[in-house]
Amino acid sequence: MSVSRRDFLKSSAAASAAAAVGMSVPSELQARSEQAQSGWRWDKAACRFCGTGCGIMMATKNGRIVAVKGDPAAPVNRGLNCIKGYFNAKIMYGADRLKTPLLRVDDNGNFSKKGQFKPVSWKRAFDEMEVHIKKALKASGPEGVGVFASGQYTVMEGYAAQKMMKGGFRSNAIDPNARHCMASAVVGFYQTFGIDEPAGCYDDIELTDTVVSWGSNMAEMHPILWSRVTDRKLSDPDRVKVINMSTYTHRTSDLADIEIIFTPNTDMAMWNYIAREIVYNHPEAIDWDFVKKYIVFASQPVNMGYGMRRSDEKSVQQGKYDGKEMETLRKEMRKEVSDTEAPALSVFGYKEGDMMENKPAGLKHWEISFEEYKRFLEPYTLDYVARISKGDPDEPLDQFKQKLQTLANLYIEKGRKVVSFWTMGMNQHTRGSWTNTLSYNVHFMLNKQARPGSGAFSLTGQPSACGTAREVGTFAHRLPADMMVKNPKHRKITEDRWKIPNGTLNPVGNQHIMKIHRDIEDGVVKFAWVNVCNAYQDSANAHHWIKAAREMDNFIVTSDGYPGISAKVSDLVLPSAMIYEKWGAYGNAERRTQHWRQQVVPVGDAMSDTWQWVELSKRFTVKDLWGGYTLRNGVKLPDVVGEAKKMGYSEDTTMFDILFANEEARSYKLDQNDPIQRGYDNSEGYGDFRNVVGSDGKVFEGYGFFIHKYLFEEYAWFGRGHGHDLADFDTYHRVRGLKWPVVDGKETQWRFNSKYDPYAKKENYGDFAFYGTLAKALSQGNLTGITDKTKKSLKNKAKIFARPYMDPPEKPDAEYDTWLCTGRVLEHWHSGTMTMRVPELYRAVPEALCYMHPRDAQDKGLKQGGLCWVESRRGKVKARVETRGRNRPPRGLVFVPWFDEKVFINKVCLDATCPMSKQTDFKKCAVKIYQA
Amino acid sequence: MKLGKRFGLTVIGLAAAAAVMTGCTETNAAKPAAGEPDAVKTAVTEESLGLRKTTLYSEQGVAPEKTEYINTPAGSGQTFNRAFQDAPPMIPHGVEGMLPVTKANNACKGCHMPNIAPAVQATAIPSSHFLDMRPKHKFDGKEFKKSIDNMKNETSVKKINKLAGARFNCTQCHAPQSQTDLAVDNTFRPEYTDPEGKHKSTWEGTKLYEGLDTVQE
Repeated sequence: MSVSRRDFLKSSAAASAAAAVGMSVPSELQARSEQAQSGWRWDKAACRFCGTGCGIMMATKNGRIVAVKGDPAAPVNRGLNCIKGYFNAKIMYGADRLKTPLLRVDDNGNFSKKGQFKPVSWKRAFDEMEVHIKKALKASGPEGVGVFASGQYTVMEGYAAQKMMKGGFRSNAIDPNARHCMASAVVGFYQTFGIDEPAGCYDDIELTDTVVSWGSNMAEMHPILWSRVTDRKLSDPDRVKVINMSTYTHRTSDLADIEIIFTPNTDMAMWNYIAREIVYNHPEAIDWDFVKKYIVFASQPVNMGYGMRRSDEKSVQQGKYDGKEMETLRKEMRKEVSDTEAPALSVFGYKEGDMMENKPAGLKHWEISFEEYKRFLEPYTLDYVARISKGDPDEPLDQFKQKLQTLANLYIEKGRKVVSFWTMGMNQHTRGSWTNTLSYNVHFMLNKQARPGSGAFSLTGQPSACGTAREVGTFAHRLPADMMVKNPKHRKITEDRWKIPNGTLNPVGNQHIMKIHRDIEDGVVKFAWVNVCNAYQDSANAHHWIKAAREMDNFIVTSDGYPGISAKVSDLVLPSAMIYEKWGAYGNAERRTQHWRQQVVPVGDAMSDTWQWVELSKRFTVKDLWGGYTLRNGVKLPDVVGEAKKMGYSEDTTMFDILFANEEARSYKLDQNDPIQRGYDNSEGYGDFRNVVGSDGKVFEGYGFFIHKYLFEEYAWFGRGHGHDLADFDTYHRVRGLKWPVVDGKETQWRFNSKYDPYAKKENYGDFAFYGTLAKALSQGNLTGITDKTKKSLKNKAKIFARPYMDPPEKPDAEYDTWLCTGRVLEHWHSGTMTMRVPELYRAVPEALCYMHPRDAQDKGLKQGGLCWVESRRGKVKARVETRGRNRPPRGLVFVPWFDEKVFINKVCLDATCPMSKQTDFKKCAVKIYQA
Repeated sequence: MKLGKRFGLTVIGLAAAAAVMTGCTETNAAKPAAGEPDAVKTAVTEESLGLRKTTLYSEQGVAPEKTEYINTPAGSGQTFNRAFQDAPPMIPHGVEGMLPVTKANNACKGCHMPNIAPAVQATAIPSSHFLDMRPKHKFDGKEFKKSIDNMKNETSVKKINKLAGARFNCTQCHAPQSQTDLAVDNTFRPEYTDPEGKHKSTWEGTKLYEGLDTVQE
């Protein structure tokens, strides 16, 4: 729907503005005339950084960005941004922007892994990629071509990459850095609701009475959401309670009424403690009408390992992991049950000292009775949970117990609305998928889920972890709109929509991001492309992956705006257009999709990642890619060349013509009379004044159609009518984002709640309908196994899981006596490639500090501001000791952020993952700290 | 049609040289074209790229930059230029003992509230911080109703007589600055629409709404 000028002027916006500032002129009119005077062009855009998804107003003049201000019309942030948000203005202007492709060459100009980088043309760059992709396909088939994808891709980029990888190369080895960030939340959603993404929305903050932050330093990582929490808290300080659950004190504690410092991994025990309090001590608090109608209980295997490499994997067999590393790695196969986990595991048949044999368990689970769930909860007494959870050795046990009791009481209190937020603390966890589901358990029993002001709410880290990684499905196992590569019906829907032969899509999607690294180390993946992420700085146990990239026979490509660590270890570096140099869209953590227009022309010869994928597609034909393959596990991909011919393609038709420049794509016209396009650059559509010499050695003159709009609309088709409805492209340019599903022009506030979600209403099941369809028929059993294989439908129901506390695979011991936790700081984004180049942000935090307790520093002979080594079984880095900073760990734990190339903390971290979600646990490993 | 000529700005980089290349390749190995200037171009070492100007493969010779925050006492009258018009100013004085901002103690307010600031030579918190910009949606326990229409990009801006709760966490936008040399220069060029823009926010009145109607039909 359109917003006419008249509407705008009539709006209460203008009216209230005039009233507020005492004007008689309609404010917008006057503002327009002021704008004309300055020569600035203001436009709306989305912030480049976190998952909050703030709107910004951006001014350009003479093709340069000159200012950013808050957008009072943006529902997420209403006129306010955080420090990174404002400095979006400067992120594209670092002096060392990549401006031309760089290739490692020898003295004769031939590619050489040992060579130094030299500038080359785009044509040469694509020549090299073509050769090395063909080589990789020949050596390993589609599993040999990998992409490190991103939760920071625009929707269109992610869709283009996904389409070429899965539809063209038939490779599912495309997986985003978002795997590191919220894969556990996704498994939690799928297993609990049968469909991905949150029920609630940010308006919950203004409506709730209680905010509990679990493993989420919202004050620094989601600052604008925290400003909303702060506003809510200060508006009614007695009623509104804020509780911070963390392994160390940080800025989120500064506003909290209660801070609970717990031992890493024991969040699981505390969730189960709250559930036990409800079931055993406050059964009257259970909403049985709700539970009986909408909930089933479930159990699963517990001996599933820790997502590390197994002993039979090639690189382990070859001895690439040394004795020290093997001390931890061995636990992937078997682990002795400890005294801390034994009580929790007793109901699963284990006792302290037993050897647990670990086996891959997949996502298997089965239905159990409430009585079994109750039996499962029995061990989580206050005594047990407090004993294993108290994270500050200097806090009295009784005080800690009292806080846990208060926490449980706040959840249970009748009439008290509660929102539980979490981010990386719960997701980056070797039982992350489990812990996510434990949060819903508590909210479900109390009927405090999917209601205004109440619910368990997973916050994402990245700006489009939801919009691109999840919704577009740029994961190894996914297709758009919650479809899965392993589901033949889903593959067929996708193949038909993409106009590619049935049987083209590869049904095996197991190359998650750590698996791609490991497959490179094993010599299976021979070509890898880093897109909109920094895979060689952001992955734990980094030394292994860097070594594999540099020393093995493979070809690594990085596309980026700036040269980060991934660029340094690559063979080919491609200059990418950055966010406001292209049309784009992001989707935030409350299901809000937001678009922006290209504000300026890219620098140098930089081109967007969309362009790079589309140009690459010109290099591959039907016969190059669509013959038969046999995958590692024996699955055969059929030869579909014949089918392709029946569809009217020839052997020599390029993927460009099939996937990107087809008839439908060309129907999206470039049109300077279109109010959305008028006056805005479109470097892919028209080319631009730079006359960049393109992949064919000729000046790139543009595709001649509106490719971003085509990609968006084709992608959006998948979700419409299936619970993921997006509005049309133009609408998103007229409004400040909308929360999907957008049905009949209206966004959805609370999913699964029939009052607010048209899809829930349509089910006609009651006040709620948990209508997701994944894993919605279960066998029956008890805690330890299936007793009746008959599958019972649980249509429109959600699940409560019996999932026990378990230890992480590496804990402090006599030699490595300290927990290491990594994460971000407010002023820097991820690996710092953008924010370290903004003077104000750089000078705010120029180095990654090792935050520690003053007494630990004293005991280890370390001085505030002095350098120390942080060393694990995998590697060590130097950092400066900070005992008085914003992060204040208890004794026994240090925090070192990961943005700093010079404090390469991921060399120290352990690459254990949740075995279900494959998300890395960056929050815990054991280190020793000593003077440097 | 090349819009960039009107809206863009030429940026000259290494690319100019790359544009000279002529086409040539065959299937087995991509080769430099005859006469390609690549070989004579200056090589770029791995070490010279990025922020870590040394080897990636050992930590022995690597050390982080040292943070040395300016510790000029508050009230000395020294300020940083704002990065651009209405950008949040950075903190020009030492902050030891002033942070963290907690609900019980916001030391920043002690000097920067407009009624105190002039007397202690502090930058006064501007009027934008005394506005509540968040519409109050209604929920009576049964029905939720939005108080403004997001499809019309409506805003709700109300003057309030205290610091806006949303802006209570000062360090969310304002940070102290280390005297560390920059790792990499930044070529952003600020432009101030207000003569006092380097030192003062004028984001108030009609400017709050400037440019919000982004699609001109």
